[in-house]
Amino acid sequence: VSTSIQYEFHLKHPPRKVWAALTTREAMEKWLMPNDFEPRLGHRFTLRREPMPALNFDGIAHCEVTQLDPPKLLAFTFRGGPLDSVITFELEPEDTGTRLRFEHSGFDVEDPRQKISFNFMGSGWKSLGENLDRVAGALEEAR
Amino acid sequence: MTTPDVYRAISDPTRRRILDLLAVKERPVRELMEPFDMSQPAVSQHLKVLREAGLVKERKVGRERQYRLTPGPLKEVASWIGHYDRFWRERIAALERYLDEEADKDEP
Repeated sequence: VSTSIQYEFHLKHPPRKVWAALTTREAMEKWLMPNDFEPRLGHRFTLRREPMPALNFDGIAHCEVTQLDPPKLLAFTFRGGPLDSVITFELEPEDTGTRLRFEHSGFDVEDPRQKISFNFMGSGWKSLGENLDRVAGALEEAR
Repeated sequence: MTTPDVYRAISDPTRRRILDLLAVKERPVRELMEPFDMSQPAVSQHLKVLREAGLVKERKVGRERQYRLTPGPLKEVASWIGHYDRFWRERIAALERYLDEEADKDEP
């Protein structure tokens, strides 16, 4: 069973500017991670961050551009530690800005090594998180 | 200790909504059937999975079984998920800051 983390945002900047920030090595280094990205289908690159022993991840993600349709769609594989996942950015003009859809997919919920799952940003889950805080607080008080 | 059962239990959207309803208050099965338009056996099956994962507990009150949330096993899940959640939200906020700075450069 494979699931994902998803977000949707409005950015006030037009798609061509957002696209440039998503697909230019220097820009990506500033907002994302050090990298050797090239906007070319099939290009293999790495994203580097600090190692995360708790996630069994040495900090180096091995990536490959799998979808490239400027200025609308960018997808690349993201393999590191136990993760064998896919990151997708979709851009659509919205007013004078951009609707940005982000997805990090391919988490295997049945792989205990990954210990991560599902689209937890769904409204039910979000409110569960809020409710859980309250429930946990009540449990503490009850002790 | 969190077992993979917890991850399987919460991978199902209906079970997540059941947890959500139980997070508000303890409820009998019939209160869990209505929102999903599901039969009692179907709801009971979901509750069984949740119970085995340690996420809900049941008790008998009169003739009814009441179910309540026991959120303990979710803590570890929350920390793993929270890591990726925080990471991407921070990165996308950084993307927005970067775009704002670039726009400022264009309009001195």
